[in-house]
Amino acid sequence: MEKYEKLEKVGEGTYGKVYKAKDKETGQLVALKKTRLEMDEEGVPPTALREVSLLQLLSQSLYVVRLLCVEHVHHHKSGKPLLYLVFEYLDTDLKKYIDSHRKGPNPRPLPSSLVQSFLFQLCKGVAHCHSHGVLHRDLKPQNLLLDQGKGVLKIADLGLGRAFTVPLKSYTHEIVTLWYRAPEVLLGSTHYSTAVDMWSVGCIFAEMVRRQALFPGDSEFQQLLHIFRLLGTPSEKQWPGVSSLRDWHVYPQWEPQNLTRAVPSLEPEGVDLLSVTAKGQSPADHTSYQDSLSY
Amino acid sequence: MDFDLENPLTHLHQLHSDDASLFLTESDHMLSPSYLHTLLTSPSDFAVRRDTIYFISQCCSNSNIDPHLSYLAVNYLDRFFSFQGMPQPKPWVLRLLAVSCVSLAAKMKQIEHNLSDFQGSEGFIFDPQTVHRMEVLILGALKWRMRSITPFSFIPFFSSLFKLRDPPLLQALKGRATEIIFIAQNGIELLEFKASVIAAAALLSAAHELFPIQYPCFRKAIINCSYVKKVNTPGSTLMLKRNLICV
Repeated sequence: MEKYEKLEKVGEGTYGKVYKAKDKETGQLVALKKTRLEMDEEGVPPTALREVSLLQLLSQSLYVVRLLCVEHVHHHKSGKPLLYLVFEYLDTDLKKYIDSHRKGPNPRPLPSSLVQSFLFQLCKGVAHCHSHGVLHRDLKPQNLLLDQGKGVLKIADLGLGRAFTVPLKSYTHEIVTLWYRAPEVLLGSTHYSTAVDMWSVGCIFAEMVRRQALFPGDSEFQQLLHIFRLLGTPSEKQWPGVSSLRDWHVYPQWEPQNLTRAVPSLEPEGVDLLSVTAKGQSPADHTSYQDSLSY
Repeated sequence: MDFDLENPLTHLHQLHSDDASLFLTESDHMLSPSYLHTLLTSPSDFAVRRDTIYFISQCCSNSNIDPHLSYLAVNYLDRFFSFQGMPQPKPWVLRLLAVSCVSLAAKMKQIEHNLSDFQGSEGFIFDPQTVHRMEVLILGALKWRMRSITPFSFIPFFSSLFKLRDPPLLQALKGRATEIIFIAQNGIELLEFKASVIAAAALLSAAHELFPIQYPCFRKAIINCSYVKKVNTPGSTLMLKRNLICV
């Protein structure tokens, strides 16, 4: 790892610390993601092998943050094996970008052409993952990195440790945000699919227009109340099987609201697209990226 | 839609043209021209490859192991040689390489195994640490790109072009093409071609054997496929036109 000079810690990812660093030889900025590699009697664990190589395959897309290389090293003191994933470095993320348009000296809406372009790139990236059989399951503005100069958006934090479960808590025990989580996941469904990512895409789209989160819940229950209040409480008729899901409770019976009220500044076509994304809430009804890309 | 994390590429045939990144990715899995050259010109290097492949087949011969396991292991081996150069032709080095490639392939394919399953009772028996160190070396050389793009990734896509309505016939065609791909891996004639081109050629060869009457029609479908046109090099067109893989 002498190749890189660590500049600063830029975050605690779900699976480990992330550093901004510089390649000493080329001067290229990179993001170093450190993960422990639990070596046991079988050597490199199959899960790590499978996940890192999946990341390698997915990061071929323009719309996914590029994995530049993988460095296998030993901790200088304990001698424990570590894996550094070296990613391209992007200067900001969609959360910071939206925040800068809401707060600060010059609050203003995001240019609508940019919202369109970001949404398009997000859908392309999600389509790429889905075409390789991979669900992201934790799409959120913090995970969408931006190259502001070029207007490029890329999906980050993909794949690691996600083969089967969505982590509720990160390794630092921070609560993972629920704001972008689809109702079927919140209700404890174990058979979910691409629709969970499209749900998040819809939430992120609305957030770009509103400059604040569409459903800012602080618990699973609150999160569902936010969703039902806007889109109506789902019934067995609209969503067969919903009331037998593991975490279903009795909820107030809300009628669906007009979406225009949640996103007053959005043009009719945009509201239309958003309502397709949120339609009915039942997973079978969440739209596909093909529909979104065609807008 | 079902997701298959093991074989994530099953949905390829549903994709739109610009999404078929598999066709773009396959170039990252190509072997270096200098490796191909050394195999053709140096009999001793050729023998190193041949012997190590033989050791891999021995590792996989112990029980009813999926033939895809040894295919993947040989794929890793070729890519390792291509990146790292040829090793000293010492039998223990080649055996260690063989065991390590098979062990990595078994992990990727989630095959329950013990290292002892891959090491026969005779010859060299390596302790786990030695194999693990070799695995790490191979991972580094292959840049952890262990989801190899192989001809098998493209079989569903190309066979869908044939529009065979009868499932047993389609199964027979895929089965024969798969056999051809397995056998052809031992030789070096196809190493220069992209995985997609090998898949297309194997399917054409199989079609030629099994359905000679429909063959011209299949051939047309493949040659006119936009992806094949895009990835085409003069050599691969020639191979497809001549039809191909003789096994």
